[in-house]
Amino acid sequence: MAVSRLRLAGVVRSFGATRALRGVDFELAPGEVHALIGENGAGKSTLIKIVGGILRADAGVVELDGKPYRPANPLSARRRGIAVIHQELSLAPDLSVEENVLLGREPRRFGFVATGQRRRQARQALAQLGREAMDLRRPVRELGLAEQQMVEIARALVDRPRALLMDEPTSSLTRLDTQRLFEAISRLKQAGVSVIYVSHFLEECRQVADRYTVLRDGRSVATGEMSRVTFGELVRAMAGEDSGEFRRRTERPPGDVVFELDRICGKTLPREVSLSLRRGEILGIAGLVGAGRTETLRVCFGLDALRGGRLRVKGRWDRGRSPRGRLRQGVGYVSESRKEEGLLLERSVADNLTLTRLEPCSRWGFIDRSAQNRAASRWIDELSVSAAGPRQSVRELSGGNQQKIAIGRLLHHDADILLLDEPTRGIDVGSRFRIYRLIHELAEQGRAVLLASSYLPELLGICDRIAVMRRGELVADRPVACWNESRLLAAAAGEGNETHES
Amino acid sequence: MKHYGWLLLAALWAAGCGAPVDEAAEGEPAALRIAVIPKGTTHEFWRSVEAGARKAEQESGGRIRVFWKGPLREDDRDQQIQVVEQFMAQRVAGIVLAPLDSQALVRPVATARKAGIPTVIIDSGLQSDQLVSFVATDNFKGGEMAGTYLAELMGGKGQAILLRYAVGSASTEQREAGFLNALQAWPEIRLISSDQYAGPTRETAYQASQNLLHRFGREVEGIFCVNENSTIGMTKALREIGRAAGQVKLVGFDAGSQSIKDLKNGDVQGLIVQDPLRMGYEGVKTLVRYLDGGVVDERIDTGVTLVTESNLEDPDVRPLLYPPLERYLP
Amino acid sequence: MKAERRWRSWRPAAGPLFGLAAVLALFAVDPELRAIFFSGSNAKLVLTQTVIVAVGALGMTLVIVSGGIDLSAGSVVALTGVVAASLLVAAVPPVLVVILTLAAGALIGFVNGSIIAWGRMIPFIVTLGMMGVARGLAKWLGNNQTVNPADNSLNLLMEPRQPLQFFPLPPGVWLAAGLAAAMAVVMSRTIFGRQVFAIGSNEEAARLCGIPVRRRKIAIYALAGLFFGMSGLLQYSRLTQGDPTVAFGLELEIIAAVVIGGASLNGGSGSIVGSVIGALIMAVLKSGSGQLNWPTYMQEIVIGAVIVLAVGLDRLREWRTGR
Repeated sequence: MAVSRLRLAGVVRSFGATRALRGVDFELAPGEVHALIGENGAGKSTLIKIVGGILRADAGVVELDGKPYRPANPLSARRRGIAVIHQELSLAPDLSVEENVLLGREPRRFGFVATGQRRRQARQALAQLGREAMDLRRPVRELGLAEQQMVEIARALVDRPRALLMDEPTSSLTRLDTQRLFEAISRLKQAGVSVIYVSHFLEECRQVADRYTVLRDGRSVATGEMSRVTFGELVRAMAGEDSGEFRRRTERPPGDVVFELDRICGKTLPREVSLSLRRGEILGIAGLVGAGRTETLRVCFGLDALRGGRLRVKGRWDRGRSPRGRLRQGVGYVSESRKEEGLLLERSVADNLTLTRLEPCSRWGFIDRSAQNRAASRWIDELSVSAAGPRQSVRELSGGNQQKIAIGRLLHHDADILLLDEPTRGIDVGSRFRIYRLIHELAEQGRAVLLASSYLPELLGICDRIAVMRRGELVADRPVACWNESRLLAAAAGEGNETHES
Repeated sequence: MKHYGWLLLAALWAAGCGAPVDEAAEGEPAALRIAVIPKGTTHEFWRSVEAGARKAEQESGGRIRVFWKGPLREDDRDQQIQVVEQFMAQRVAGIVLAPLDSQALVRPVATARKAGIPTVIIDSGLQSDQLVSFVATDNFKGGEMAGTYLAELMGGKGQAILLRYAVGSASTEQREAGFLNALQAWPEIRLISSDQYAGPTRETAYQASQNLLHRFGREVEGIFCVNENSTIGMTKALREIGRAAGQVKLVGFDAGSQSIKDLKNGDVQGLIVQDPLRMGYEGVKTLVRYLDGGVVDERIDTGVTLVTESNLEDPDVRPLLYPPLERYLP
Repeated sequence: MKAERRWRSWRPAAGPLFGLAAVLALFAVDPELRAIFFSGSNAKLVLTQTVIVAVGALGMTLVIVSGGIDLSAGSVVALTGVVAASLLVAAVPPVLVVILTLAAGALIGFVNGSIIAWGRMIPFIVTLGMMGVARGLAKWLGNNQTVNPADNSLNLLMEPRQPLQFFPLPPGVWLAAGLAAAMAVVMSRTIFGRQVFAIGSNEEAARLCGIPVRRRKIAIYALAGLFFGMSGLLQYSRLTQGDPTVAFGLELEIIAAVVIGGASLNGGSGSIVGSVIGALIMAVLKSGSGQLNWPTYMQEIVIGAVIVLAVGLDRLREWRTGR
C-alpha cells in the first residue's frame, strides 16, 4: 500500500482519571471507505474529535499523508483537508441551500456576494453527490433530513477534502435515504476521497465500507477487509470476552401484570411497542442509538404525545395521560439526562426528594421544613446516600448519589412502577453496583421496573427479561437466560440469523 | 404576488382619492368642525375644559361641532403633535389647543395655519406669532395670590418649599414665578427647596413629595404645589409623616374631588382655583368669533380664585369647585 | 419556475403587504373617512409619522435577524436628539452635528455589541441596562430640560412645507426611503448581510464555518445604534427641540414593526421591506383610528391586537406550509 491518507498509532487520551483512548492504531488508505465500529463508550467519539481538531491526543502519532498532523481547531483541520460531518447537523435553517453550502466561503466581489459564482460552486459540490437538480434557492428548513444531510456534506466538499469523517450519518435517515447516501459515498470514493464511516449499524457498515476497525474500551482490537469478516466475528470483537460481572440475581416470584403497552407509537418514535411488566420484575430495553428506547419511556410517562395504541396501568386502559396523571397512578420516571431534566441542582437534597409530593411536609400550604428534613433524612439513610445532610445542595453530590436522589424522589412519591432511563450513565463503577443493588431491592419490594440502557452488560446483569428495539419497533422480548451480548447486538443491529452460528 | 400586492394598494388609494374631498361643498352649510386638544385626558381639570367647549357647542344650536382628543400622557409631545396633524388632515375649521410644550408645538400650529386652519391657544403659552388668541388663567397672578396667602398663614416667617411641576410647561412656570415674586415681600420666609419637580402623574408627584419630605419634613412650615396632582401627592405624603392637618401649611393649585376633600378636612389650607370650564368655553367662542371675521383680543384672562375652608360654599365659588359637568358632557 | 422564484424572494414581505392592504381597506369602508383619509396630504402625514419608527426599524431588523434584541433604541433616540440639540445650541455647523449625532448613536451600539460579544451576556439584559443609562445620560445632558436651539437647517428635515398636498415630502421621508433601499441591498446581497442571517439562524454553524461571530455582532449593534441616532436626529427635527423624555417606549414600537414585518425573535428571518411595511401599518392604524375619532386608548388596544394577530397569522402560514 502507498502512503496512508491518515495514520494513527498508539493514540492515548484521558479525561481526568478516565482513559478514553488507551492505544488506538488506525490506517485510512486513499480513496477507501473505512468503517469505525464500537459499542457506546468504546472511544469512537473521542477519536473523531481528535481527528476533527476538537481534541488533541495526549500521546501517539497522527499523520496525514505522511506528515505530522496536530490541528489546533476545527478550522485548521478543515484547511488541512479533513472534513467532519457531525451527527447533529450544523446548518442555518433559514438560509437557502446555496448559502449554506458556501457559508463562510462566499465568493465575493467588492463585499457583495457573487451570486452567479456561488450558485455554480454549490451546484458543483452537490453534483458530486448526485444532487445537481436540488433547488438551490430553497430555505434549508423546508428540506427533508436526508436532503439537509446532503447539504451538509456538500459544504464539506467545497473545500475539496482529502478525508471525510461521517459520524452516525444514518441515525435519523430512512432506509431509502440511507441507500441514497451510500450512492453518494461511492461517488466520493471514485473521486479519490477517503471516508471514515462511524456507525452502530453493522449491516450498513458491511454494505458501504471496504475495511473496518473495531474499538473496544479505548483500544483498537481488530482491523481488516470487510469482505473477509463475518457479522458474528464483528459482534464478538465489539463485545469482547463476555463477563458476568454482576449476576447476583435472587429469584423472585413474578406478580400480577401492572403495566402493559399495546402497540403504542409516538410522533416519530416509537413506531410500535407492545410489552407487559409484572410486579417484582425488572424488564430491560436494549437497542442502538435512535432505536427509540428513551422515546418509549417518555411516551409511557406522558412527556411525549401518544399517537397510537394504548396503555394499561394497574388494570385500567387509557390512551395517554399527563406526567401528573401518571404520577398519581404511581408511575415514576427518571430521565437519562438527570442534570437537565431531573434534578434542581441548586436546590437542596430535601427539596429535590420531596418536590413531587410536598403535602406530607406542609401545613396549610406552608412548607414545614423540619417535616421535610425528616422525610429526606429517611430516604438518605434508606438509599445510603452520602450527603452531608438534607440541606446540602444536590450539585455538590457525586453522580451516583445524584441518581439515588432522583430515584429516591419516586420512592417518596410511592411510585411502584419505575421507568428508568440510563440510570448509570456517567456514574463510576463502584456507585453503579450500589444503584444495581438498589434496583434489585426495589423489585423485591414488589415494584415493577422498566429499564432502558445502552450498556449491555448492565442489562444482562440485572434484568429478568430483556426486550430489544430496532428502528422504533420492539423486535424481541425474551427471558435474560436466552440472551448474551452478541445476540443482543445482533438483534439490535438487525441481522438475527447469522448470530445463531455462535 | 409582488405586483398584485402593490396593485391592490395603489387601487385602494386611488379609489379613496377618487371620492369627493370636500363634503362641505355640497348640500346645506355644514357645521363648523372645531378640534379641542387638551394636554391630557385623565385630569378632572380637562373634563371641565371639555364641558366648557361642549357648552359652547350646545349654545350654538348645531352650528359648531366639537371634537375632543388628547394624548394619553401629559408629557408625550410627539403624540400631541400627531393629534394636531390628524385634525389638520381632517380639515377641521379651527383648533383650540392646550400645548404641552411652548416650543415643540410651534411648528404644527404654524403648519396648520398654512393649511388655513387657525389655532386658539388655551391654558399654556406657545412661543409663536401664528396664534389667534391666548385664552388662559393669569397664572402669574395665581402664583402671587398663593404666595401672599401662604406667607400670611405662616405669620410672615419660617421655611417654605416650592414643588415645581415640569420643565417646559409655561403655565406652571408662571405660577412658580408668581409665587417666588410674592415671597420677595416677605424677607423672613426662607425657601429651603425650589428645584424639585412633581412630574406628569399623581404617582411621580407622590414620589417626589415623599423624597422632599424625607429630607425637609421636620423643618418645613409651608408648601406650595403648582398643580392638582402635586397637591394631592404632597397631602398624602404629609399625612404619612404625621404633619398634615395644618402643622404644615399647604397651598395648592386647581381643585379636584380629592383636593377639595383634603381642603374640607383641613389637610390643605388653600387652593388657587382656575375656571377651566370658562377656559374651554371662551376658547371655542373666541375661535368661532375669529372664523366669523370678528375681532378678538390677543389675551383673554379667565380668572383665578382663592378657595379656603371658609368660602368653599359661597355661591360664586361653588360652581368653580363643582362645575356642572353633567349638564354639558355626554 | 421563474415565477416561483420571484414569488419566493418576495414571500417574506407578502404577509405584511397583505396586512397593510387590509388595514387600508378597513379605513376605506366609511365613506366620510375615505374622503379625508385617502388624500395626498394625509399620505404625506402618515409617511412623515412613520419615518422615525421606520428608520429605527432598519437597525432593529439587523439586530433581530442576528438573533438579538435592542431595548435601548428609544432611549438612544432621546439621547441623540438631545445631543443634536445641544450641539446646535453650541453653534456647531449642522453637517458636523449630523456626523457627531450619528457617531454618538453608533458609539452606544458599539458598547452594547462589545459587552454582548465579549462579555457573553444576553442582549436583553445588556440593552435593558443601556436603556436606563442612555435615558439618564439624555436627562443629564439636557439638564433635565428640553434643549431648544435657534431655528436652523436641521429643522427642515421633518418640516411638512405644503401641508395640503403630497409633494414636496419632507427630506426625512426621502432619507428614510433611501436608507431602507440601501439596507435592503446590504441584507440580501452583501456578505455581511448574509452572515447576519447565518448568525441568527444557527450561531454555532456560523462559527464552525469561520464567520467571525463576535466582530460581526459588534458591527451589528453599532450599525443599529447608527440608525437609532438617525431616528434621534429626525425626532429632534420633528419636535424642533431635544427632549430627554421623548420616545418613551419607542423601542417596543420599533420591535413591533419589525415583528409585524415578518421577523422572528428567534433570529434568522426578517426583511427590511417587511419591517418598513410593519412601521407603515402601525402609522396607518394610528392615523386612521385617530381620524375615526376613536379615543387614544382604543388605538392602543387595536395596535396591540394587530401585533398579536399579525404574528399569529404568520405562524399559521408557516405551520401550513409545513415546518
